[in-house]
Amino acid sequence: MPGIVCAIRGGPASQPTIQKAIQLAEKTHQTVYFLYVVNLDFLTLTSTSRVHVVEKELHQMGEFILLTAQTQAAKNSVTAEPVVRKGQVRDEIIGLCHEVGAEYVILGQPRGQNEVDTFTHEHMEQFRQEIEQESGAKVVLAEEAQ
Amino acid sequence: MKRKTNLQRYLVAALLLAGALIFYAPNRIGKAQDAGLGTIFGRVLDEQGVAVEGAEVSLLADRKIAVLHTTTQSDGSFALHLSAPNDPTEFDEAIYLHIERPHFSPAEIALESADLQQLNAGAAVEIPDITLARKISLAFWLATVIFISMLLLIATDKLHNTLAALVGASLVLIISYLGHPISENLYIFDFTDSLKYIDWNVIFLIMGMMIVVAVVENTGIFQWLAFFAYRASRGNVYILLAILMLIAGVASAFLDNVTTMLLMTPITIQIAISMGINPLAFLLPEVMASNVVGISTLIGTPTNILIGSYADISFSEFLTNLTPGVLMAFIGLIIYSLLIYKKELVAASEASPMLLEHLAERGRITQPEHLKKAGWVGLGMLLLFIFGEKIHLLPAVTALVGATTLMVWIKPDIEEMIEAVDWTTLVFFMALFMVVGAIQEVGLISYIAVFIGQLVGENLVLAMIAVTWLSAILSMVIANIPFTAAMLPVVGFLTTTVPGAESKVLFFCLSVGSAMGGNGSLIGASANMIASGIAERAGYSISYMYFLKKGLPALLITVGLAMLWLLIKF
Repeated sequence: MPGIVCAIRGGPASQPTIQKAIQLAEKTHQTVYFLYVVNLDFLTLTSTSRVHVVEKELHQMGEFILLTAQTQAAKNSVTAEPVVRKGQVRDEIIGLCHEVGAEYVILGQPRGQNEVDTFTHEHMEQFRQEIEQESGAKVVLAEEAQ
Repeated sequence: MKRKTNLQRYLVAALLLAGALIFYAPNRIGKAQDAGLGTIFGRVLDEQGVAVEGAEVSLLADRKIAVLHTTTQSDGSFALHLSAPNDPTEFDEAIYLHIERPHFSPAEIALESADLQQLNAGAAVEIPDITLARKISLAFWLATVIFISMLLLIATDKLHNTLAALVGASLVLIISYLGHPISENLYIFDFTDSLKYIDWNVIFLIMGMMIVVAVVENTGIFQWLAFFAYRASRGNVYILLAILMLIAGVASAFLDNVTTMLLMTPITIQIAISMGINPLAFLLPEVMASNVVGISTLIGTPTNILIGSYADISFSEFLTNLTPGVLMAFIGLIIYSLLIYKKELVAASEASPMLLEHLAERGRITQPEHLKKAGWVGLGMLLLFIFGEKIHLLPAVTALVGATTLMVWIKPDIEEMIEAVDWTTLVFFMALFMVVGAIQEVGLISYIAVFIGQLVGENLVLAMIAVTWLSAILSMVIANIPFTAAMLPVVGFLTTTVPGAESKVLFFCLSVGSAMGGNGSLIGASANMIASGIAERAGYSISYMYFLKKGLPALLITVGLAMLWLLIKF
């Protein structure tokens, strides 16, 4: 059965994305794959040799954030699977789409111009086209639902 | 047979004679050298009365011919032992002492006839302290520009801290080596001299503590403590906030702030989400507590390690002189945090049982055996830090012994342990010491010291206020480690010139200002940036302005209270 890939990072900004994924899953009866990507770019701001420890901690934090999304999905009788990956959000979404044969990808709202691993306005359209071309999944923007 | 015996006797006699000559001859030569000649000795100081090491002291006849030559020691002292072949008293013209050193104007001292008579009589002649005046050369400006550029590169994140310091150290050295043949004014110092500025006590202390931390961080103790805080608070968010701040603070006093926040932040975010609270309401107070309470001990912050090593301040001196002030600041910080996050804390809801179950799973000790052993070794280290000073045991030795003992006891993967040492930080410190050494060498630090000295005069209170608040404000915008390293000789100078400052109070002011000043801005401390980076990964951004709005009043409160304690105590 095809699925819905929904990349989130938690916090209030992810709520519209989660809600959109749940609504779509209710309508299509598909499984939602909530994706959290561990990204350690912020460690370049300070010296630390604890990369492996931070990675482990962020992985566990990602699991927790996805658990909160799963809980919301369960309340609406929607099946949801958590997926935690390490790397760049863009690459991991495309990778997961291929793995699960995703029919839909839910993207959040652009967050700013300086975010490397989130979708700026300029890159959004380009990214949307890339996903649709490479995986055949239809991209749905959470902001469209608002 | 008889001839053979005689020959043997002659041989033995010849050997004995040769032996006697070997032993006797040097003594004779020594006596000849000493006969009738004396020694000239004295000290060379800079304008601030600080000993000048490595100054060339020559004895000149006719102001041209150098008949004797020596170099000043670390205490600025020199001694010229006169010998017969170079007996200066045989010269008709006046005898002079010529003193020179890079970055100082040369000085000449004429020996009086009475001095020459004393020397002739084989007596020692003490020259009054010789003061060398600083000279501003091209090297001065180059070293200053390199130091400021390094600070800017670090502050603006254009280069990694370590790389910025390495670029600075390389530039200082390459200018010295390539520039010196062209002009004397381009010489800063050579490689051997630059190494003298590296404080190995600091390097080994940090390295030893990093190994201990690497063992502790894998035991799950931070996660257990954070979840313990939740259970102990029984769902009361106000108590929970205070306990989380206490844990972050106490942990930072014995481990480093960055590790503490690296491990506390993710679990704190999860606890806050479980309770329906904005995680920033817990995180900011936690990181600020970490910056405040960390200064209670010698090993709590890198700045304290620098200060302790430079000013010879022991573990227990930090503990006794700073802890009451830190407690006052900490209590002030708790009250402030409860007030500014009142709205967020009130919004707390009943924690989700499913999420709590997940948290409970995470909040457990994963390596109890390692934790037990680390606890014993930690206790031993603490005792050595406190009582080791009685046997002149350096903190670096304690840290190194503790780290080695722990590794031998738990037998970890040695590769993993070595990887756990943050070599980039250690290289940063080494390169930083060299760059700061360069500005010390050319005299920038002396000029700053004199300037501040003139501002505060002999007023201790004014000096305390100036050092504390200057450090606090500057630590908001520039990295506090290079700032503290550069300020140490300045504070050292003020300690010798301001009456009452010999208690080292100004070093405690520097400790308070440079560490608590980190609370004033997001870039003020590495722990702030770590907490912010992890919070961002959970969808809770901490902008520069947000941190400034919450952090600046915290800085004013905590530095003010700690300062008040120092004024009462000293």
